[in-house]
This record gives sequence, structure tokens and C-alpha cells, in this order.
Amino acid sequence: MLSYLIRRLLLLVPVFLAVSAVIFLILHLIPGDPVDNLLRVGSSPAQRAEIEARYGLDRPLVVQYGIWLGDVLRGDLGTSIVTRRPVSQLIGLALPESLKLGGFALLLSSVGGILLGVIAARMRDRWPDRLIMGGVLLGSTLPSFWIGLLLILLFSVQLGWFPVSGARGWDSLVLPVITIGIGGIALVARVTRVAMIDTAGRDFVLLLHAKGLPPERILWRHVLRHAMIPVVTILALRIGWVLGGAVTVEYVFARPGLGSTLIKALNQHDYPVVQACLLMLAIAVLLGTLLGDILQAAMDPRIRESIA
Amino acid sequence: MFHTLRMRLLAGSTCALALFPLSLSAQEAVLAMGSAEVGVPNYNPLTAVNTNTAFSMIYDTLVEQDADLTYHPHLATSWEEAPDGKSWTFHLKPGIKFHNGDPLTSATIVEWIDMYRKSENSYMIDNVEKVEAVDDTTFKFVMKNPDPNLLYNLSSSFMAVIDPAVVKKDGENYGITEAIGTGPFKLESFTLGQETVLVRNDDYAWASPLAENQGPPHIAKLTLREIPEDSTAFLELKSGGVDGLLSLPTDYLSEIATQANLAVEKLPGDEVYYMPINVTKEPFTDIKVREAAALAINQDEILKNVFSNYGMAANNMLISALPESKIDPSLLISYNADKANALLDEAGWKKGADGIREKDGKKLTVALWTQSDSVFRRLTEVVQAELKAVGFDPQIQTFDSSVIRDQYKTGNQQLAVRSYNWTNADIIDWFFGGDRLGYPNVSMFNDPKAEELRTKAMTGSATQAERIANFLAYNSYVSGQFPYAPIYQPEKNMAYNKDRLVMPAVIHGGSMSGTVMQDVSVKE
Repeated sequence: MLSYLIRRLLLLVPVFLAVSAVIFLILHLIPGDPVDNLLRVGSSPAQRAEIEARYGLDRPLVVQYGIWLGDVLRGDLGTSIVTRRPVSQLIGLALPESLKLGGFALLLSSVGGILLGVIAARMRDRWPDRLIMGGVLLGSTLPSFWIGLLLILLFSVQLGWFPVSGARGWDSLVLPVITIGIGGIALVARVTRVAMIDTAGRDFVLLLHAKGLPPERILWRHVLRHAMIPVVTILALRIGWVLGGAVTVEYVFARPGLGSTLIKALNQHDYPVVQACLLMLAIAVLLGTLLGDILQAAMDPRIRESIA
Repeated sequence: MFHTLRMRLLAGSTCALALFPLSLSAQEAVLAMGSAEVGVPNYNPLTAVNTNTAFSMIYDTLVEQDADLTYHPHLATSWEEAPDGKSWTFHLKPGIKFHNGDPLTSATIVEWIDMYRKSENSYMIDNVEKVEAVDDTTFKFVMKNPDPNLLYNLSSSFMAVIDPAVVKKDGENYGITEAIGTGPFKLESFTLGQETVLVRNDDYAWASPLAENQGPPHIAKLTLREIPEDSTAFLELKSGGVDGLLSLPTDYLSEIATQANLAVEKLPGDEVYYMPINVTKEPFTDIKVREAAALAINQDEILKNVFSNYGMAANNMLISALPESKIDPSLLISYNADKANALLDEAGWKKGADGIREKDGKKLTVALWTQSDSVFRRLTEVVQAELKAVGFDPQIQTFDSSVIRDQYKTGNQQLAVRSYNWTNADIIDWFFGGDRLGYPNVSMFNDPKAEELRTKAMTGSATQAERIANFLAYNSYVSGQFPYAPIYQPEKNMAYNKDRLVMPAVIHGGSMSGTVMQDVSVKE
């Protein structure tokens, strides 16, 4: 198991390098120029050249990449071109907010999704199943932007239970978490239901039934455990998405976060910030995948044995 | 027992009265800044690329501009310009103190300007040779070249007066955790992209004469929130989460009218929508075709149909509050379809069966660039229809707002729909100066006569009156060459909760600045 872990971690290094190169090149190849955002009415072309030189933007792309990669490996994410603040500081402000929001949303989606999925599978083709699957369809197709505004209208404007927006107290976290969580619940419920139904038809379950075990015990102890393998994979893959994919929700609820930092920097072509945000998300996805694999191995003895 | 309790309550309230005399109440207010103000990285005027409303609360400027763009005293009580424009003498109001207790004297100003010269915004004082302290409250700007625009620069929040000692001490961190000005409010906390909490400067006794209240502000604690999404900001106002929105999009004006507790305060506009015409691209190398395209734009129809009659039509490049916008009425550009048709006929473009004009077998097909934001898309479609009505065949090309500037640099645009925010005539130099072709000079306009007038307007004026005259000449000439068509001037609106805030009878200033906030109070 330990050698497997080390192998997996080592494998992350070339992936990380490839991801960093792709991020850097794509960013610099799309049209747009951060310096445009630094010029105000009245500044001269000479001042423009000065700014370009200050941020090394006048050097060849390969040289710029080399410098950036070197800095990143030394732990220096650089300075934001537009805000002039250290990128690590900007990430430091955004990341905890994203982790908080994403963490709770992930928790909500797993608990809610698994519960609904199990109920739907248990009541297959009966009205609770139809109801849940209808809700799942709605939850996965409605845009989170719209859900967010609707929740604000109901719970903040009409009922006055939660603040409309902001990131001041814990109560300001409730609506954004639900907004993101709804999509997650829908996804997890669907995967859980399919996996449960699939597992319930397997030979070993038939055997358990034949042995006369109580159906509820078979469902919760054996079928669910087995069905959790694809669910855990989905959840692990969702870590990266939840961290960076909350852009619209952060925007609607006026919350800070990695997603909104990324989009804002992208619009301003603030390369160092975009690169750092994408790197964070890439790392989150890589670690999420790794976590998924490890959990899978921990849950499935066959996988555990094959890698031992 | 009851008696003693009442006695205690009475004693308590007397104490409270002693602590907070009527003029210094414990009012608190929460305002949301406009979405354009979101994301200001720090409160350092020396390095700021963009500023927000809170700058004018934390800092004061030497000179203040009223809503009509006239100049008024603030930290400087008066000033004199030498007749040759080579120097300006300013007189500071005595007794001004920074939030940390440091006095503001002429020596501070000298040190500040020295520091400014080394800053990224130094071009604001390009024409200043040096500043001399005459005595404690008198100082003299000695000019390299006369610069009647000095007052404009000094009234801008980029030239808000800082305490040089603190900026030096804090270095890169200045303006993030600490910002020391002389303004009516002190910075209590600043969370990037979230909110700025300000508390009243109880020592404030140097408000601009534009404010009625010359003492400390009525509001003791002012929170300025950053909300990027307009509909969220509106819901905050509706639910009472904020007491006012510093900038209300026009789309919400009708909604405000239906709410009994909400009201709108009109502020002067600082934005102009216009259509640059690339003078280097066929068929617009022909001035007649340019003029025809400009005259095809129906400003009144656009005002009515796209902007529901909020704001006003634009008929030259500058906002109408600027004296430099008052060019000869015959040079103003406004809708005249008959003339546009006649000009195109004259230029040899004949209408075909499909209504599209042709010349030498070529159709009058032109590219019309715009950005993806919804207001631009809506407006551009109307512009397209209006150009079509006189025989153009405009093809709309939409670009993301973050990449369109790079596209302009290619010089491939023919027509475009754009807007700018600026309250000074030097915007003509910015958009039509021959050394900025592509972007910001989207029209690719580079005309020897214009360059001559430009130099005269930018650097050849000794006094304010001369500068206005020179810019009038420059503006007139450029307008007559039709490198653009003016379209629309929006107005700015501030929305507030009438049950919470009391606004001053007249807003003195272009925005809800610190000077305006002096006279705002909270109903208790």
C-alpha cells in the first residue's frame, strides 16, 4: 500500500509540470494584455513600455515560463500585475472561503445525495423513486445562478432568515451552500441509485438473500458498501470542481473565493493570479483523484490486493 | 425599587447624552458600492489604478469639484495662478490633522509631491517642476509648462493628500491595513472584494464649503460593501440589508418607483457611448461616407427605445457638463437621414434593389464591432438597423470585453460601439491622438492639423480660459472630420432607503463623495 502511495505521488510530478506548461501557454496565447488595465487616460506609450518591462512581459515566452516555474517551485507565486498585491496573499484570502463553502457543499451533497439515492433504489419504480428522480432532474438542470437568486428572494427578502449576500457570519453560508449543494445532491443521488440497483442484482446479494439475512441488513451493510465505490470516485472528482466551479454562486452572493478571483483575473489578463488559481485547482483535482483511488482501495479488498 | 430603576435609567441617558452630544450621534449606515467599483486592491492613491468612493471618505483633496465641474476650496482655502501660468500659490486651511494626529503643513505637501513624482501615477504632475513651502500654510507649485489642468488633477482622488511619513513606514502594505488621510472618515477595516468599514473622524473641522455640515459627519460608522451582481445589490436594498446603492443600473429605476420606502437621487453622468469610425479602412477613408454613417445614428430614438428615456442624447465626444463640449452648434453631430443618403449618393454609393448601396460592383458591407455585455449587444443591434436604413450593410462582430482591446490593436475594425467614463476634455487626446493608433485610438485617426491643435490644447494653454478655447478648437476640428459618431450619455443614479437615510437637498459633487456624505444622516 505504501509503495503504491509513493508511486502515485511521484506520478503527480510530471502531471503537475505538464499542467503548469499548458496553463502558462494557453494563457499567454489568448488575445489580451494586462497592461491595458494599468493604463489610464493621459499615460504615454513610453509609460506602457516601462510597465511591460517591469513585469518582464517584454521577454520571450519561454524565458517568462522558466522564470515563473522557478519561482513557483521555490514557493513564490509572484505579484499580481493589476492589483500589485502578492498572489499568495490573494490566494490566502480566497482559498479558506472556497474551502469552507466547498467543504460544506460537498458534505451536504454526499449526505443528502446518498440518502436520497438509497431511498430511490429501495423504492424503485414507486412514487418516492419517481419523486426523487424528478427532483434530481430539476436539481441538475436548473442553473445555480437562478437557484441562488430564488433562494435569496424566498429566504432573505420574504422570510428574512438569512442575509442576502456577503461573507460575514455563518448564517451567510447557508444559502450559498444549499445553492451549490443542490447540483451535488442530484448527481450523487443518481449515481447512488444506479449503483445500488446494479449491486442489488449481483450474485453475492442473491446468495445473502438465500442465506436468509434480513433484507435491511443486506441493503445497508452489503449493498450500500459495494455501491459506494463509484459514489466516492464521483465525490473525490468533485473536490476540484467545488473549489473552482462556485464562480456564479460566489458572484450572486458577493462572496470571495477562488472561482471569482480566477474569473476576475482572467478578464483582466492578470497572468500571475490566473496561473496560481489554475494551479491550485489542478492540484485540488489531482489530490482529489488520488484520494478517490485511496478510498476505493480502502473500501474494496480486490483493489487493495491487486496493488499490494 | 421602581423609582431607583428610573433614576438609574435617567442617569444613564444623561451620561449617554454627555458622551454623544446631538452633533455626534451614533448613526450607522451600510452602502453598497457600484459593481464598477468592486475589487479595488488598496487605499493607496500613489499606486492606485482605480479608486472607489471610500477614497474620498478617507482622504481629502486640495481642491474639490462640484457637480457642474467647477472648482471649489477644500484643504486649500484659496489659490492664485500666475498670469503666465508658470506658478500656482495655494493656501492651506490651518489646523488640519491626519487621522494619526500628524499636522498637515506646507512641508507635508512638498514631501507628498516628491513622493508622487516617483510613483506610478506620476504623469499627473508631469508639468510640475517642484513645490516650494512659502510658510506653514502657503506653498507654491512651480511649473515646467503652464498646466491649467492642475486643478482637475488636484481634485482627483488619485491626488488625495496622504501622510508621507506613514506611506514611507508601511511601504508595500500601505493602504491595506492602514490608510491615513485627513478625511471625514477613518479606515477601520478593509477586506479585499468584500467591505470597507469606516468610522467617523471626530476631529474633522475642515470640510469643503460645498458641504453644509462643517463639523464631523453625522454618520459614526459607515460600511461600504462590494457586491458584483446588480440584482443581488438590489435585493439587499429591498430587504434592508443595505441602506443605499451608490450606483443603480437604469434597468431597476422602474422597480424602485414601485417601492414606497425607496428613492432615487440623480447624479451627473460621466459616461459617453460613441461609435468610432476607422478612417484608414475603406470605405471610411472617404469623409463623406464617414459623415453619412455618423448622421445615420438616431440618438433620440436610441435614448427612447434602448435606454427608456433615462439620460440624454450625445452629440459630440464630451459629456455635456464640460465647457469644452460647447462647440459651434453647426458642428454637433445629430441624426439626419436625408443628408446621410445624399452624401452616400454623392460619394458614388448607389442603392441596389435590396436597399444595400453599391459602388463599382462592391456592396457597402462594413464590420461593426461590439463587446459581449448585454447593453452593448442591444445598442449595437439598433445601430446596425439605423445604418442599414441609409444603405449600409453592417455585420456585427461580438468580442469578449477582455479581448476586444487587443482586437482593436490590429486596426481591422471599421465601425465599433464603445463607451468611456471621463470628465475631462483631454479624453479627445486619448482617443484621437496620432501616437495611440489601434487602442485607444480605435478610429486610427492621425491628422496633421488635429495633431497641431492637440499639442496646443494639451500643452500650449497658460490659463483655464485658454485651455477651454484650445480644446474647443481641437474638439470642433476632430468632430468635423467624423472619426466617430456620438450616441448617448447615461445618467448616474443612487438609490436609497427613505426610511433610513436623509439625503442633502442638493448633491454637491459628481458622486456620493466624502463631501456629500458630510450632509447625509440616518433617521433614528
